[in-house]
Amino acid sequence: MKVVVIFKWCRNPQDALVGASGNVDWPGVKMSANDDDPAVMDIAKVLAGDDEIVALTIGDGDIAWAAARGAASTVVVTDALTDVNSTATGAVLAAAIKRIEDVGVVIIGDSAWDYGIVSAFVGQLGWPAMAAVTSAELDQGSLHVTCKMGGVSHVLEIKTPVVLAVMATQTEQSEPSMKQVLMARKKPVEKITIADLGFSPNFAEVTSLRTRFPDTPPAILYDGADPASACKQLMAALHNDGVL
Amino acid sequence: MNMNSLMIITDQRRVGGMLNAVKALGGPITAAVVGPRSLADTVSAWGFERVLCLEPAQGVPAEAYSAQVAEVAAAIAPRLLLASDAASSRMLLAAAAAKLNANVIGAVRALSVDGDAIVISRSTADDKVLEDIEAAGSVAGIFSGADVDVITTQPVSVEQIAADSSTNMRLIGVVESEGGNGMLTAARVVGVGAGLAAKDDLKLIEELAAAARAEIGCSLPVCEDLRWLSEHRVIGSSHSQVSPELYIALGISGQPQHMTGVRDAKIVVAINNDPEARVFKFCNYGIIGDLYKIVPALISAFKNMNG
Ligand SMILES: Cc1cc2nc3c(=O)[nH]c(=O)nc-3n(C[C@H](O)[C@H](O)[C@H](O)COP(=O)(O)OP(=O)(O)OC[C@H]3O[C@@H](n4cnc5c(N)ncnc54)[C@H](O)[C@@H]3O)c2cc1C
Repeated sequence: MKVVVIFKWCRNPQDALVGASGNVDWPGVKMSANDDDPAVMDIAKVLAGDDEIVALTIGDGDIAWAAARGAASTVVVTDALTDVNSTATGAVLAAAIKRIEDVGVVIIGDSAWDYGIVSAFVGQLGWPAMAAVTSAELDQGSLHVTCKMGGVSHVLEIKTPVVLAVMATQTEQSEPSMKQVLMARKKPVEKITIADLGFSPNFAEVTSLRTRFPDTPPAILYDGADPASACKQLMAALHNDGVL
Repeated sequence: MNMNSLMIITDQRRVGGMLNAVKALGGPITAAVVGPRSLADTVSAWGFERVLCLEPAQGVPAEAYSAQVAEVAAAIAPRLLLASDAASSRMLLAAAAAKLNANVIGAVRALSVDGDAIVISRSTADDKVLEDIEAAGSVAGIFSGADVDVITTQPVSVEQIAADSSTNMRLIGVVESEGGNGMLTAARVVGVGAGLAAKDDLKLIEELAAAARAEIGCSLPVCEDLRWLSEHRVIGSSHSQVSPELYIALGISGQPQHMTGVRDAKIVVAINNDPEARVFKFCNYGIIGDLYKIVPALISAFKNMNG
């Protein structure tokens, strides 16, 4: 079964520079692998078996990231970026997937960095989809997927084609070796542009008006040098808030 | 311009917060409940103009009805489609948004109207700022703002939608978390992080939890790296989301993966010896100090309170 992984489709929100007036800047910040991307690769390897994994990314991130973790080839839409309109990004990713033949499963990180892009992509592709996926396996040809649902996990049997939005439950367990990273740079890369996807996005306009600090009050901080006094003040405040 | 809204609901979480936000648009609000009839009955008294209910067949997940929910959305043609950040809600919203040709926007915290445009305030840059976005057409928002209590009204009658029988996914097993999970419903939770120096010191945390009548949770490293507490105690984006009245974070730096798990806590208290710790930007109260000195004082304070 051909498996496509989508990686580095967003910038790390922690890399944003926030100015004194609440303005946001992204100086030189590139697309970045999110926490879930390593788990995306782990599940892709389980499902692909002996078949090839194709990787898809957008923009200017390190193209070899997925190849170093087992992808056979990588497609990059070089001029696609993320902005306020997640639908545009989702539509680019969906159009790029549709160019690839015989895809059974598409795996993307279910990343809170931008849930909007994940949903927009799923909708634009139009395939069945599950989010909060923590593992998947093939059992006698049928796809079994485990998803986290609050305090329990659900195991589902799902027909392909399907999109799995994967949620990592641990940090990356084994990073690729230097050799794997170097070998990855020799694997095939197809660079395309939005124009090559043959679609013109037709979405109503969305405009970013401003960024600003939220009007939630800052935390009240007590000096712990005198623990008893700090705790007394804290307890009084909690009493006032009605949580004791 | 018509400001009608459709809310996709798969569980009760954040419905109060969503309603509160959507009311700012001033138009009629319809609820599309994809879940048990009891959920639809509950929300029918929450002030929606209409409540539709699609009850999944036994062993079929809500996501299997994406196409059907998209049809419902197309018939209603809302200007705003809203769902919570729960996994199944986001997947249902995906199909409906595509059907409506709506712009999808994540991390929605508040809504307002400016002339004919909807203005969406979403959280961005690691939750440090809000971005106000103006949308001319229809919008599909994923709401992750605070929940608020709902004032109940006279219930409207629930309109049942027959669930499609053809499905591409089915439930074949449920794995319960080991050890149960009282933390999920606890009124108070004490969370312990890598600031704790030794496993033996968990006794101090247990003493605090007993005095405060709280459940114990932890950050990921306390489970994954140190293996002091089991996985079901981990709070955060990839594990359990808790919604206590009071959450006390001890020796936790406050990384987004952890803080996402306590976003629905009413009050967050942080105790950390680093005045620059990120957690102090995402809490209501903080004590800057060594947890080994603060926790004993806090235990005394709770014991005094309990008499
Ligand atoms: C895929 C993925 C998923 C993840 N999911 C989760 C998740 O669900 N939940 C989660 O928690 N994390 C998760 N993480 C990990 C997360 O990124 C952070 O690494 C983790 O939350 C940090 O835990 P911590 O705050 O306990 O440790 P640290 O970041 O090491 O912080 C320890 C804190 O203790 C303070 N401290 C030290 N000594 C004392 C003292 N004596 N008194 C008071 N304070 C003291 C320090 O100042 C510091 O701020 C995930 C990471 C990845 C990559």
